[in-house]
Amino acid sequence: MTTAPNRPALRGSLDALPLFIPALPFAFVFGVVVAEAGIPQWLGWSSSPVIFGGAIQVTLLTLIGEGASVVAAVSAALIVGARHMLYSVTLAPQFQNQPGWFRWVGAYVLIDQVFVLSQIKRIDDPVAFRRYFLGAGFTFWTLWMIFTALGVVLGPAIPPEWGVEFAAPVLFVSLMMAASDRRDKLAAAGIAMSVTYLLASLPNRAGILIAVIASVCIMLLATRRQST
Amino acid sequence: MIALAIVLTGIGSYAMRAFFIFALARYAFPPLMLRALEYVAPTVMAALVISMLTTPEGELAAGLPEVLGLVCAAFAAQTTGNHILALIAGMGTFWLIGAII
Repeated sequence: MTTAPNRPALRGSLDALPLFIPALPFAFVFGVVVAEAGIPQWLGWSSSPVIFGGAIQVTLLTLIGEGASVVAAVSAALIVGARHMLYSVTLAPQFQNQPGWFRWVGAYVLIDQVFVLSQIKRIDDPVAFRRYFLGAGFTFWTLWMIFTALGVVLGPAIPPEWGVEFAAPVLFVSLMMAASDRRDKLAAAGIAMSVTYLLASLPNRAGILIAVIASVCIMLLATRRQST
Repeated sequence: MIALAIVLTGIGSYAMRAFFIFALARYAFPPLMLRALEYVAPTVMAALVISMLTTPEGELAAGLPEVLGLVCAAFAAQTTGNHILALIAGMGTFWLIGAII
C-alpha cells in the first residue's frame, strides 16, 4: 500500500495524460465511424458525454450504421462494456468510505484507464483517493470530449498505414505490467491472455469477461495451498 | 431511433459501472473475495491486449512487428515503470521491425 501523494487531484490528472496518447487515434477512428454511419455529427458526438466509453460508442454506432435494430445494437454495445461490472465490484471496497455524491460521479468516469490507475496506485486515504480518481477521470473525460469532436469534424486525419492504433495494445501491456506487482498477478495475466485467445471468436468480445473470471478462479485455486 | 439507442446505451453502461459500487456499499468483503479482486486489473488488461490483436473471427492479427513491439513495451514497463517510455519502446520496435521486413 502506498501513501497518499501530495496534491492527489493534480497527480491523478498528470497520471492520466500519457494514458490518453493511444486514445487519440481512437478518437479519429470514432469520427470515421460516425461519418460512415451517416448520422448527424452532433448526434454521433453526443454519445461521448452520454456513454463515455470508446469501444462501447464505436460498437453501437457501427451497428446502427449497418442497419441493426436498436435492441441488437444496444445489447451488443453493452456486452462489449460488460467488463465495467468487474471494475464496479473491484472498486466497491474503496468506495465504501466515500460520500454518496462521489459514488454517483465516480461511476460516470469509471473507464479502463481510470480503473487501472486506481489499482496501480492504491491510495488508502479516502479523501486523497477521491481526488486522485476524479483528477484522472475528468482529465480523461475532457480530452475525450475535445478529441472525439475533432475526430467527428476532421475524420480520418491520421494515415492508417502509420499503424498508430497499435499504441492501444502497447499501452495496455504497459498497464498490465504496472498492475502485476507480484509474480502470481503476472501469472494470472498470462492465463487471461491464453483464455482470451481461445475464446476470441465469441461475439462482441464476450471472451474478455469469461477469461478474467476463469483466470481469477484458477489463481485462487492455485494459491489456496500457500495461504492456508 | 439513434438518439434512443445512444441514451439506452448510456443508461446501461452507467448502470454497469455504478451497480456494484452501490449494491456492495455496506458489504463486508471476505478475505477470499478481496484476494480475488486483486487479480482483476492485470487480467482485464491482459484480456484487452489479446482481444485488440485478434479478429472477430478469432484469428490472431499480429505478426513479428507486433509481438516484438509488445515484448519490448513489457520490458520497458517492467524496468522503468514509465508508460511513455513503454509506448516509445513498443511503437519504435513495431515501426522499426515493420520497416525492415
